[in-house]
Amino acid sequence: MSKVKNWHLGREIEYPYDDHRPKRQWAIVFDLNKCIACQTCTLACKTTWTSGKGQEYMFWNNVETKPWGGYPLAWDLRILEKLGRQDWGAKGEYLGKTLIEAAPPNERVLHFFPTDEDWMYPNVGEDDCAGGTVDGGMHLDALPHDRWFFYLPRTCAHCTYPACLAACPRKAIYKREEDGIVLIDQARCKGYGECVRACPYKKSMYNPYTRISEKCIGCYPAVEQGIQPQCVVNCIGKIRVMGFISPPGQSRRDNPVDYLVHEKGLALPYYPQLGLEPNIYYIPPIHADRDYLKQMFGPRVEDAIKAYRELPDDPRAQGLLCLIGSTDRIIHKFDVKQGTAFGYDEQGAELVRVPVTETVIERAAFDSKLGAARHNTP
Amino acid sequence: MTKATLRTWTATLLCATAASGAACKSRKSKPGDGVAAEPPATPISALEVRAVTADLTAPDAAAAYWKNVPRGLVTLMAQPMVTPRPETTTTEQITVAAVHNATHIAFRLSWKDDERSEAGRLGEFSDAVAIQFPMRELARTPVMMGAPELPVHIFHWRAQYQRDKEQGKPTMLTLYPNMSVDMYPMEFKEAAGGTVEQQEGFSPGRAEGNPQAYQKSGIDEIIAEGFSTSAVQAGHSGSAHGVWANGTWTLVLTRPLAIDGGSVIAVGSETGVAFAVWQGGKAEVGSRKSVMMSWLPTRVL
Ligand code: SF4
Ligand code: SF4
Ligand code: SF4
Repeated sequence: MSKVKNWHLGREIEYPYDDHRPKRQWAIVFDLNKCIACQTCTLACKTTWTSGKGQEYMFWNNVETKPWGGYPLAWDLRILEKLGRQDWGAKGEYLGKTLIEAAPPNERVLHFFPTDEDWMYPNVGEDDCAGGTVDGGMHLDALPHDRWFFYLPRTCAHCTYPACLAACPRKAIYKREEDGIVLIDQARCKGYGECVRACPYKKSMYNPYTRISEKCIGCYPAVEQGIQPQCVVNCIGKIRVMGFISPPGQSRRDNPVDYLVHEKGLALPYYPQLGLEPNIYYIPPIHADRDYLKQMFGPRVEDAIKAYRELPDDPRAQGLLCLIGSTDRIIHKFDVKQGTAFGYDEQGAELVRVPVTETVIERAAFDSKLGAARHNTP
Repeated sequence: MTKATLRTWTATLLCATAASGAACKSRKSKPGDGVAAEPPATPISALEVRAVTADLTAPDAAAAYWKNVPRGLVTLMAQPMVTPRPETTTTEQITVAAVHNATHIAFRLSWKDDERSEAGRLGEFSDAVAIQFPMRELARTPVMMGAPELPVHIFHWRAQYQRDKEQGKPTMLTLYPNMSVDMYPMEFKEAAGGTVEQQEGFSPGRAEGNPQAYQKSGIDEIIAEGFSTSAVQAGHSGSAHGVWANGTWTLVLTRPLAIDGGSVIAVGSETGVAFAVWQGGKAEVGSRKSVMMSWLPTRVL
């Protein structure tokens, strides 16, 4: 076992391989306050990558309704239950064990192994507020807690310390030096399913037709051409941005992902306590239960919500949020000047510019020139 | 995509599978199943391979020559060297007998396994056995998968591969009989005159030529030089057939004594063999297996 630095946890953790960060690290930031569970991302990925045999059940991108939903069923509850209670220290450092540290002596990673049936209900719990038929009323009224829920879109997190990679006895999983994307070598995998067992996020999936495992490929063919992944560029809610995240000490104020994660502390990794340093980051939903959010996003959640509430006073962050979803290209740098947000590519060429506040145009309801009445549709 | 559409879509694809029951899980045996009753076996520390006058090119567990061959018991234990490994030993013993006819060598193996497992669906694994031979100096070759420059030659039989050989590679419909799928784009390609290669592009494992993704012919022949190095060889020189009955697998594997680029066994010489067993029903696969801790010295008479 090596000791590697996990900045999500503010300490060193155990990992079977030495510390070796890629040249840059793929990352997606999601604003959970804006996701509408339209599943466009899910289908964008599905139609691009998993329309083949043995992939019928696969959703490399899925959107589940928290707290009830989960694909596969209760993936998060089951791994949290296995890990047991763990604590964070007063300074935000993690005092508990990671999944690798908590593994029994005969295993590489503490895990649970979902059954076939667990994968069959990808949308369970979505908007499940009705008590059966319409006249059944809202069964949420019967629940012993406040009414809240939120949608959680998920892809593979292309973890800095992937459990899937750690668990593969054939060394068929690798993390790319150029962008940190984690891939299963489709020529080398033998379908042992160790990655399916080990990935706590359950983003490694078994293909019963090819009899080997597959996972989200981070849309690397697009990323290599400077284009964001399918699930990002097709997002209807414009809640996602893909870019490259720096380790905290090397954060750049003009890098969109660095800005949201490191500079503003707006976006947080999910279930960081599992210890993989996952690279999908979430702006927490401000109306959801705080204890639940703390369990999911760690102790910095209050600060992230505070930062979110202060956005109206921060034109730079506002500008960046407007840039999200405005271009298919990867924004390497951004700037906000005089009410306009600019996105630039790696070479510094302008990709897009958007107004931070859209101009409001008022027009008469009846257009006498066209002889037509206008409807209030944008 | 609206929620309703997605739901219907996933429901047609997925929920149907729930109703199909354990189509490919374990099966009850038919009594007999062509295996001769087992004479008693005693623990051995070395194996004698006697010469017989018989055709050994095809595996035959019921052949008369097995009646006169001593059967030895060999102890296995949970693979102890690398993680992940089984928590406890699932297969404690394997019964072994072997014969040769100057060109081929045949092994007759049997071991207890309460449940017959052929894998197929998600989270299912296959019963399996492996016979390993040293390719160079026996004394220096580690019994656990060999080492660099000290390769081992492995014959890996899986119930799953045997089903492939006998019934063809299962289709998605054989695995999930009640599933329904609206369309596979790859099949539209076929209708539109697409090439096989274009279709395979939708199946990464097949596009990459991964042998797992293609129909197997009963066994894999593997060469390894240590853990994590095993590589499936093209072509087959051996063949195997297993029968599960009354909680026991009985399997015969036969191979030429000399295999080009593989292991070579000379009549009158001493070599070694090692066995490993996987119980699919106990989620054993890969490094989760029962193994021998040392080579079984083997004298080819
Ligand atoms: S999310 Fe899971 S599958 Fe993806 S890199 Fe991390 S451990 Fe591997
Ligand atoms: S990054 Fe690409 S492969 Fe991964 S979930 Fe998104 S669309 Fe699918
Ligand atoms: S496309 Fe965007 S808004 Fe729609 S479900 Fe996916 S992440 Fe949410």
